[in-house]
Amino acid sequence: MKFEIPIGPQHPALKEPISLRMTVEGEVIRDADIRLGYNHRGLEKLAEEKTWIQNIYLTERICGICSHSHTSCYVQGVEKLMELAPPRRGLYIRYLISELERVHSHLLWLGVAGHEAGFDSFFMYTWRDREVVMDLLEMISGNRVHYAMNAIGGVRRDLDDAQRQKILDGVAVLRKRTEYYFHIGANEPSFVGRLAGVGRLTKERAVALCAVGPTARASGVARDVRKDDPYAVYDEIDFELCTADTCDVLGRTVVRIKELMESYKIIEFIVRNLPAGEIAVRAPRKAKPNEAVSRYEAPRGENIHYIKSNGSDKPERLKVRAPTLANYPATVEMLRNGFIADIPLIFAAIDPCICCAERSVELIDARSGEERTVRMSDLRRLAAARRRASGLKGKAEWPF
Amino acid sequence: MAVLRTFLYLLVYPGLLFLFVYGTFCEWFDRKIYARLQNRMGPTHTGRFGLLQPVADFFKLLAKEDIVPERADKTLFSLLPVFGIAIVGAAGLLLPVWNFDLAVPGPTSFPGDIIVLLYLLSLPTLVFFLAGWASTNFFSIIGGTRVLTMLFGYEVPLFLAVLSPAVLAGSWRLAEIAAFYQARPLLVLPNLVGFVVALIAVQAKLERTPFDIPHAETEIVGGTFTEYSGKKLALFRLMIDIEMVVSAGLLATVFLGGFPGGALLGFASFVVKTLFIIFLLSLIRAMTSRIRVDQVVLFAWKYLAPLAVAQLLAVILIKGLRS
Amino acid sequence: MKVAVFMPELLRHLFRKPATVDYPFRKLEVPKDFRGTPYLRPELCIACRACERDCPAEAIEITTVDEAEKRFRMVIHNDRCVHCAQCVESCPTTPKAMQMDALFELADYDRHNLKKDWVFIRAVIKPKAAEPKPVPPQAGS
Repeated sequence: MKFEIPIGPQHPALKEPISLRMTVEGEVIRDADIRLGYNHRGLEKLAEEKTWIQNIYLTERICGICSHSHTSCYVQGVEKLMELAPPRRGLYIRYLISELERVHSHLLWLGVAGHEAGFDSFFMYTWRDREVVMDLLEMISGNRVHYAMNAIGGVRRDLDDAQRQKILDGVAVLRKRTEYYFHIGANEPSFVGRLAGVGRLTKERAVALCAVGPTARASGVARDVRKDDPYAVYDEIDFELCTADTCDVLGRTVVRIKELMESYKIIEFIVRNLPAGEIAVRAPRKAKPNEAVSRYEAPRGENIHYIKSNGSDKPERLKVRAPTLANYPATVEMLRNGFIADIPLIFAAIDPCICCAERSVELIDARSGEERTVRMSDLRRLAAARRRASGLKGKAEWPF
Repeated sequence: MAVLRTFLYLLVYPGLLFLFVYGTFCEWFDRKIYARLQNRMGPTHTGRFGLLQPVADFFKLLAKEDIVPERADKTLFSLLPVFGIAIVGAAGLLLPVWNFDLAVPGPTSFPGDIIVLLYLLSLPTLVFFLAGWASTNFFSIIGGTRVLTMLFGYEVPLFLAVLSPAVLAGSWRLAEIAAFYQARPLLVLPNLVGFVVALIAVQAKLERTPFDIPHAETEIVGGTFTEYSGKKLALFRLMIDIEMVVSAGLLATVFLGGFPGGALLGFASFVVKTLFIIFLLSLIRAMTSRIRVDQVVLFAWKYLAPLAVAQLLAVILIKGLRS
Repeated sequence: MKVAVFMPELLRHLFRKPATVDYPFRKLEVPKDFRGTPYLRPELCIACRACERDCPAEAIEITTVDEAEKRFRMVIHNDRCVHCAQCVESCPTTPKAMQMDALFELADYDRHNLKKDWVFIRAVIKPKAAEPKPVPPQAGS
């Protein structure tokens, strides 16, 4: 007998609102339906109303944990549009922050996986050690989240020698702790019993469903933008692409811990070999008509930004494809034939950043329940017609 | 006069008020130890060292709005917390702290009272199941079925483990079992395996990690307690605290040799021994992660039940050798 | 199968100081260059409106109080501010008229209490002595 149970939009397992409607039979899930849209903020439209500089901060706020990924991906794209070449020191500092953010995000994920599995002590310890990397980021950039280090043409702040030494000390501490967590994660029987064999995604299905990031790498798919399409400094740095073969949540945990160790290597390389020079070049206020696609390896997978300019100081179009959106079809596949008890772990294993992924719109007729897909061009036509009819000028009025 | 004494006995000491105070103290101790094991502070600010935090939680819940779902069975829904408190309160009266002298036994010490205590401790599981069932919420029903599924796992090892020292002592009366082990303290050692099995089974009965599946927060919201709020939830949480005190008291009596020394010293020994057992339970809680309900049953029948049976056989052997 | 892998670490921490801090009775220090809230040093401001133009949250508002006297009014809406410090960076004066302080405990019951304003007369740009700037490396190196 099949039931349909809703997980979300409000549920303790989810950090953000999303609706997963599961069709279950006993304790086994037969089907899952993902409904997005609870966190939609109209960011892509808002980006068209703000200048290139203001958009750096807007894209940062697409997400909190992968904030630097979005702003770096955007700035990389704008630098391609404006045909700027940022100085090497600036690039090194920008990707140092990227790797520190990757460390922060993976330690956060380890804690969240522990909490979803009920292993609260592991959660507390990994988050305590996350404070080391957050203090480093606060020292470098002035804030613990939303680092605002990027400027178009480079970075805004420089590193001095005392800060470099502190980064190396912090990374040494974190390396020891990460090895300890690897030992715990692999050997604590109750924890491994929850993670092993859960959320299976075979290699063929991972490729067919376009999974990205650690979700795909745990199924043996060796796909990483830093290796496939090295941007900026990554072709100068020696690091390994981490994969696992178990195709389940335990594999994803192992991939993330291995990526942590690789990130420590990259951070140490960058800090030791920081080239001298300027940190930014001057960027023009307006961009010539052009379009650019920029790819970036966020902690969750491949992040793609498409930017189009039309000669003014504001972008014509900004389209964001966050990695979590690419992992949703794979999640539906993983949830089938799993247990209800495993739902939080399977969903947490893709490291969902739901607010990043709120970029697709689904229209449902309230009366008949029928779903329709509307093209973006139709939506724009309707919006432009409405704006002309209402007579609003330029900037909207602040209500306060 | 006797009527007044009985009322004081039931309501103040060792009845409801004492169980309330001591239950909240034990919850504070559990939370503080759990926090310190995780390198954090635990309750700090309410009262000195945060001692009043569980009391504050209780009173806060009493003041909240009490909602009964529309389709729920109202009488059953509202009476279950009261039943729960009554059950664990009655179980609390059976502990041999208040029967210090075997020559003058109190009204609550009689042959077979260990069986009554174990029976009274199984009833809360039924109360939880009925609470989940009466809520008519899908998450509560799943929680209720998980409670009963776990019962199939841990109940048999718990009974076997707790009854082994009773078999060795040759009595079904808690005060006599305690007196037996006080006179021969070395005989506590053969029961160690049973002690470990009973600790794990009690952790499952109290629904704490690794067995907190019925009210697993991240999976089924609140499990059996999803629809409970306000006064009823306050009474359920108090019931769980008192259940912890009673189970710790039972384990201390049967495995650690009871509470000798008369009124004052016996009470002190009660506090020390129950806090020791609660420390061990908190350690188990901090050390492990939650396991799935099918893994609980597998674990219980693969490891706990054979160990409990082995313990019982060892006890019978020793009893034969001693006589 | 190992049991109780985590136990030694847990027991060791039972005797150590907790990692958490008793906020708000004890507070942690913020590092240097922490991005707190922006404030104006009115004696240095030349009212070029670069900060107003570049602010992503429209949190700075500069209005002309008196055209003849060159008196301006700047309002910083701290309830809209996202603490990005772009205003500090866009400010062209040396030393900078917009600065960031280290305050972050701004919570209030009324958003209108968070707005700060200054009324000032525009500063006159002193001609800067020509200082030799380091030649930047060529773009594309």
